[in-house]
Amino acid sequence: MDIFTLSLLVVAALFGALALGLWVGLALTLTALVALLSRPSLPDAQILATSFWSASTSWDLTALPMFIWMGEILFRSRLSDDLFAGLAPLMRRLPGRLVHVNIVGCAIFAAISGSSAATTQTIGKISLPELKKRGYDDRIAIGSLAGSGTLGLLIPPSIILIVYGAAVEQSISRLFIAGVLPGILLALLFMGYVGLAATLNPTLMPENADVLAKESKLKAAMRIAPAVLLILGVIGSIYGGIASPTEAAVIGVVIALVIARAQGGLSFAEFEDGLMAATRVSAMITFILAGAALVTTAMGFTGLPRELAGWIASLGLSPYALLFALTIFFMILGCFLDGISMVVLTTSVIMPLVDQAGFDLVWFGIYLVIVVEMAQITPPVGFNLFVIQGLTGQDIFRIARATAPFFGLLALMVVLLALLPDLALFLPRTMFSKG
Amino acid sequence: QTAWDMPTPYPEGNFHEKNIAQFVDEVNEAAGDAVEITVHNNQSLIKHPDIKNSVRDGIVPIGELLVSRLSNEDPIFGVDSVPFLATSYEEAKKLYDAQKPAMEEALGKEGLKLLFSVPWPPQGLYTKEGVAKMGDLQGKTFRAYNKSTEELAKAAGMTPTQIEASDIPTAFSTGRVEAMMTSPSTGVDSKAWDFLSNYYTMNAWLPRNMVIVNESAFEALPQEAQDAIMKAAGEAETRGWQASEEETKRTTDLLKENGIKVEEPSDDLKSGFQKIGETLTEAWKTEAGEAGAKIIEAYQGS
Amino acid sequence: MRHALDTLYRMAGWLAAFCLVAILVLVALQVGARLLDWGLTSLGTGATGFAVPGLAEIGGFLLGASTFLALAETLAKNVHIRVDLLTTRLPERPRQILDGVVALIGAALAAFATYALAALAMKSLTYGDVSYGLVAVPLALPQGCLAAGLLVFTIALIDEAVLAFSGDDRISGGGESI
Ligand code: NA
Ligand code: NA
Repeated sequence: MDIFTLSLLVVAALFGALALGLWVGLALTLTALVALLSRPSLPDAQILATSFWSASTSWDLTALPMFIWMGEILFRSRLSDDLFAGLAPLMRRLPGRLVHVNIVGCAIFAAISGSSAATTQTIGKISLPELKKRGYDDRIAIGSLAGSGTLGLLIPPSIILIVYGAAVEQSISRLFIAGVLPGILLALLFMGYVGLAATLNPTLMPENADVLAKESKLKAAMRIAPAVLLILGVIGSIYGGIASPTEAAVIGVVIALVIARAQGGLSFAEFEDGLMAATRVSAMITFILAGAALVTTAMGFTGLPRELAGWIASLGLSPYALLFALTIFFMILGCFLDGISMVVLTTSVIMPLVDQAGFDLVWFGIYLVIVVEMAQITPPVGFNLFVIQGLTGQDIFRIARATAPFFGLLALMVVLLALLPDLALFLPRTMFSKG
Repeated sequence: QTAWDMPTPYPEGNFHEKNIAQFVDEVNEAAGDAVEITVHNNQSLIKHPDIKNSVRDGIVPIGELLVSRLSNEDPIFGVDSVPFLATSYEEAKKLYDAQKPAMEEALGKEGLKLLFSVPWPPQGLYTKEGVAKMGDLQGKTFRAYNKSTEELAKAAGMTPTQIEASDIPTAFSTGRVEAMMTSPSTGVDSKAWDFLSNYYTMNAWLPRNMVIVNESAFEALPQEAQDAIMKAAGEAETRGWQASEEETKRTTDLLKENGIKVEEPSDDLKSGFQKIGETLTEAWKTEAGEAGAKIIEAYQGS
Repeated sequence: MRHALDTLYRMAGWLAAFCLVAILVLVALQVGARLLDWGLTSLGTGATGFAVPGLAEIGGFLLGASTFLALAETLAKNVHIRVDLLTTRLPERPRQILDGVVALIGAALAAFATYALAALAMKSLTYGDVSYGLVAVPLALPQGCLAAGLLVFTIALIDEAVLAFSGDDRISGGGESI
């Protein structure tokens, strides 16, 4: 089977299965089995078993159910309500008001979590119901969450930067530091956009919902204290050397349980409820990841991504043209593969090109993460979209539409990074000046 | 023509992978009409823990892995990682020769065939602070990733701490771990100078990788292709051992250039670890039983 | 029958939740011991040096088991996500038939996956495969959990198809809506 027919068949299988309403993890499984038709001599069952097995039993991934669980506990406690009620008077004058909680919340949570799914799920579980209750427009709430949830990848720790660093033999410490400034800038871009959108279209915001609390600023600030305690506890455990980023998720659960208990809430029934809900959501996401891993393996066997990358290599492009072509290439792949898969499947072909074109490999890592962030919010395969569909029940295509402006901001960030490479390189250069 | 996919665990630039790339080129060149091998490095097709079983179960016909990954299945696979048993290339070669028949037998039971095996540079001690004597190690946290590194840590009075490979930079930076044993090659690949400062050339052991092939897939190839693979494998082994020695020198120099203090261990460290090595060798022999005793006998008699 | 099936899904779901609790407990023990050692060392006494052996591998296995054991319960509670652009636009009867057919396709895929994972576990059992880390865990154990979870998931998908064909609309809602 030639590569063109195969690509068409794979795309048709995925869109067909999804359009009929097959559950996402199973649709990916079906797509992978179709892709494997091109290599009839391969043992499909064994490939499936090995992919499911190795994708679902990853230690790095164990942080995901723990953070989901933490979110479920907080959702059932007074903490989320208190947090929003406390922040409301403080943010009254900021255009966009409480929508910024999504962005700032994700940016802070990104410093704990290495994945965008965990970031989106945990913050969204707390913020979306509160924003809805207060009458904020669905689209801006969902879009800002989907967009800023991707910060989990850029702000350290970051699983994808670890994978990239190992693949191209770059220092993970430098990559982590390099992600900080672009991450903060991106969060500011998102906040700027939300402010602008709120000013231009006041109907996105509820009229006066946030001024009901007639408390002093001090009292309001006190309401935020448990949330601050939680964040400091988890971040402190990582950077103070008490826990690895994966273990820190468990510390989050423990602190959340303590806070919920101390606030007088959380009966045993609520505890069980939260645990079962976390088990289900984590199974939903991990099963999709297993399906995606099977697609990745099948793609590896078909050689499709490698051939596409090789085709770009054969074009002999100038550095900027190459960058442009790669961005398009990753965006197309990003519609069908998750970020880590894109990196492992293509680096061996692409990195020599990138090296030759004279790009700094630390800089390229940051560029790649931002492009992967864009892939997280493009349908049909976009993990942040899946997570938000799980949270809201809205369709991924509708969610993707709400997220489109934030996709645009990520694209703008790619351009900024290309024009000002120091955005990524300034901090690592300054902090590791000896080497 | 048969298409063979070959999963490997390490990234393209690693010296093992360069050696394998050349091996594959030679096979494709000599037997390209019968078999064409495509390498999928850096765990991009199959993850390291699953490579052996994937070759055995026929998902892929050929693959590379760290020999001692199999030591829980059969202790004889772990002899290259017994600390301070073989501490030079010469000794490591002797140990390999002594171990090889047992390896081939154990692999054969699962329908696998050993093609070649190449050592990593000798393992040295990385620390965040200078270490002049055994006492300086007392109470330090030490990265343990299997039984023998755990035993080593305990015997030296250190606290074994489990740190995943990807977590090493963060663990050192945040103080969760203070010392580890690994090769200068891995130190360079992970840019160790960003998070630690001292390296001691302990030459503790020379762990090996191996390339294995599924016997029935191999035998299904025409005889000329089988011969071509065996010939290329023999050459890859010779080439790989040489490349490993050069890699030791190159990466140790790179550690120095990047500001890591590279030193020989003090006499106290040397003799202290030598003693630990003897205890651990005895422990390994007990675990590996008769087959283990045979390997040690063959090694020491050579 | 209905009761028996729901009990089956719930039991598997509880097992899955138990796996998550086990991860929590093991990691908490590990971090707790590290904190204790910090305290002991700063007091000048010797550290306990306690660590949960093989935590990373075992944690991974527990996550895999949890994921697959929870699949059926997740389906029954309608938490697995799907795109319902087309289905929601169809009239009732055609929609129910489409839902049933899709559930059957899903059941076929899940049955194939059950067979694949069971075969993997059987092979691991035959060869006595164990994990690499500090604790040599027989791989057949966690792999068997994955296979068992997929078997219950297959049953749940057939159940789903029967419900759809018989006009019960359980699956056409959307996720846990807020
Ligand atoms: Na992060
Ligand atoms: Na996407």
